[in-house]
Amino acid sequence: MDSLAPMLDGFGVVLEPTNLVYCLIGVVIGMLVGVLPGLGPAATIAILLPLTFGIEPVTAIIMLAGIFYGAQYGGTITSVLLRLPGEASTVVTVFDGNALARQGRAGTALGVAAIGSFIGGTVSIVALSVLAPVVAGFALDFGPPEYTALALLGILLVATVSNGGRVKALVAACLGLLLATVGRDTFTGAERFTFDSLALADGIDFVPIAMGVFGLGEILYNLEERRRAAAPAKVADVWPSRKDLRQSAGAIGRGSVLGFFLGILPGGGAVLSSLAAYALEKRRSKTPERFGKGAIEGVAAPESANNAASTSSFIPLLTLGIPANATMAMIFGALLIQGVTPGPQLVSEDPELFWGVVNSMYIGNILLLIMSIPLVGLFVKILQVPASILAPITVLITLVGVFTIRNSAFDIALVIVFGLVGYLMKKYGFDPGPLVLAFVLGSLLETSLRQSLLLFGGDVTGFATRPISGTLLALLAAVILVPVVRGLLRSRRREPERVAERTDA
Amino acid sequence: MTQALARRRARRGTATALAIAALSLSVAACGGNLSGGGGDFPNGPVTLVVGQDPGGSTDLIGRALAEVASDDLGVPMPVVNTPGANGALAANELAGREPNGQHIMVINASLIAITPLAVSEEEAVDINDYEVVTGISQDDYVLVSASDSGLSSLDDLTASTEEIQYGTTGVGTGSQLSQELLFAQAGIEGTAVPFNGGSPALTAVLGGQVDVASIQLGEAIAQIEAGELTPLVTFAAERNQYLPDVPTAVEAGHDVQVSQFRAIVAPGGTPEATVDRLRQAFETAFASEQYQTFNEENLLTPHEVDGAQVVEEWTAALESYRATIDEYGIDLGEAS
Repeated sequence: MDSLAPMLDGFGVVLEPTNLVYCLIGVVIGMLVGVLPGLGPAATIAILLPLTFGIEPVTAIIMLAGIFYGAQYGGTITSVLLRLPGEASTVVTVFDGNALARQGRAGTALGVAAIGSFIGGTVSIVALSVLAPVVAGFALDFGPPEYTALALLGILLVATVSNGGRVKALVAACLGLLLATVGRDTFTGAERFTFDSLALADGIDFVPIAMGVFGLGEILYNLEERRRAAAPAKVADVWPSRKDLRQSAGAIGRGSVLGFFLGILPGGGAVLSSLAAYALEKRRSKTPERFGKGAIEGVAAPESANNAASTSSFIPLLTLGIPANATMAMIFGALLIQGVTPGPQLVSEDPELFWGVVNSMYIGNILLLIMSIPLVGLFVKILQVPASILAPITVLITLVGVFTIRNSAFDIALVIVFGLVGYLMKKYGFDPGPLVLAFVLGSLLETSLRQSLLLFGGDVTGFATRPISGTLLALLAAVILVPVVRGLLRSRRREPERVAERTDA
Repeated sequence: MTQALARRRARRGTATALAIAALSLSVAACGGNLSGGGGDFPNGPVTLVVGQDPGGSTDLIGRALAEVASDDLGVPMPVVNTPGANGALAANELAGREPNGQHIMVINASLIAITPLAVSEEEAVDINDYEVVTGISQDDYVLVSASDSGLSSLDDLTASTEEIQYGTTGVGTGSQLSQELLFAQAGIEGTAVPFNGGSPALTAVLGGQVDVASIQLGEAIAQIEAGELTPLVTFAAERNQYLPDVPTAVEAGHDVQVSQFRAIVAPGGTPEATVDRLRQAFETAFASEQYQTFNEENLLTPHEVDGAQVVEEWTAALESYRATIDEYGIDLGEAS
């Protein structure tokens, strides 16, 4: 195998002391950024970009990549402890992660998340090293019709993952879809629900909504419950037990594979992968009712998936020259400044850079795992801080974080509005999860559906005749119909029995 | 009432300036070379606003310039991204700022010369509300097809019996306008499919979802060099120096001249001495080897003309585009 030599040379590159140090700097910064809600990896890389001018391209990218996947580790911490999902891909983790934290098992949740993230990341790097050129084309096969089918499937999954009433989940999801329509129509330039405000022209950002309905809404709701505020949650079981690990092993494995493949898709891959991984575990589980109330698989699966996805999102950038998300766009820009144009020729023209960056991710993931373990003990102590102190600090960090995304004071007002929405939802028993996820998927669905219809010239049968979208739609139909059919069969089988019973009586 | 508003705006300005000062201190870790010399400009950091997300070409250009210009001015020049409405959000904010040169912006010609054709009148940004410091560079659009698509020249498009599906990078962009103009003049039947930016449009061409797309050269060059994309035509008046073998649409006899130009602007009413001082700083940046290498690597053609010429060129472009789309009955957006 001729590809083996450059790959091994890549390890030589990574193990140079400078590169190791920058890898460490990158993952530490990434983890911190992930913990701070709002300030995302893309903005951080933008701020740090000038620092990379003076260093070697491969060293620079190793550091920037470290920030990116380090942030995925850090993001979990706020989702679990404070119900503040910093990115769309960690929303699902909130459901069970925060429930576990309330039961005093925050350490278990964070420990399993760290292990799951490590395994997900590592599986994905191995797969990337071996399969990158083969699966790169997969990203290209996904056109608008395929995304339409995927988004539909995702929205359907949203309804199944949520807790509480199905009707309430649907109401919340519809509200999310409605919010996704705000902004200038990307097809015609027409204004929709913008009230002549340019601040709304690009629609609402994910972060103010998620921070508002989850984080702020939760804090407002807790203000009502005086007793809870007086006694901070007790922290027991800092480490995941052997039973927890055994229980999550399957979820981590399936989450990793799912995350790797969905992560390759530019746009929405990471969100869909965490959602799909969660839904898969809930469906496979013999006790699905535990989900949402502190099932450890509910943390393990999405965390493995989103980390695997963040690693595989490098594939389109490094093999096709296509940045899959905002952070990848920043890294693309950083490479350009370094005089390297990421594209199909990168692997052959600059193998040292390609393999150096890929292999640095092994080291980075190991560093993150080593760092996470002692930090878990430290972070769970946050929960021991009385709510009267913790809540105002959380609110402050949230508001500052939201401001930094677009340097917009308007977004601060938005997060407060959504905080009120979140409070009301919580008070009346609505789960905010479906709202946020439907919001994220809604814009994907609308854009892809309209693009598809333009491509098909308005002929909807086009969806069924393309192999990938056709398969996805068949899967969608199965997910909807199987329970219905099963229900019908069951009731028909019961009917004769009932008739028999009646005649007996 | 107006006083209260002004005060509030001033206060907000101070708060932002403080935040930015703190940011730039931590970011640039700049030495204490704060003595500005004559006059009271620059008085503290000069904020360079970018109306696009970090990582895009406008952002990268801003950062490359700020790096050198801040040395010349002797004050930090933090780049602040305020994305929204193709840059209109940042431009409107800038127009409301105190005209003292402490806030300036990298502005795209498309916002001035093309977007007004697609959006309602109130949302259009007028170049006359700003003092133009200097022009920056020209970023050409290139029409690309996938190499395995069988479309390798403009003639192939014209001869095609099937309707051509073309990707654009959004409504009111140069990508949309260039293709609308070309297709109308060359009599090619086509359907526009808007994507959210250059990279999704590129992906769609590579994946065969659409037949062609007009994309900024810098975003497509890697795939062109790798032989996966075929450049059909470029949309500038002259051939692009980086793609000397690719004909222009003008050569094929069509009146299509669409490029992405960029300029530095300050709020309207900024004193002439301040604008001159800023221009001097940017001219130093233009002359630096570091910036020139940046231009080459990003396939940008310098177009460092003075402010008056920028206003003239951009206004003329808007009028000429408006006339052409009226002539051919092209509609860029339903809100116009």
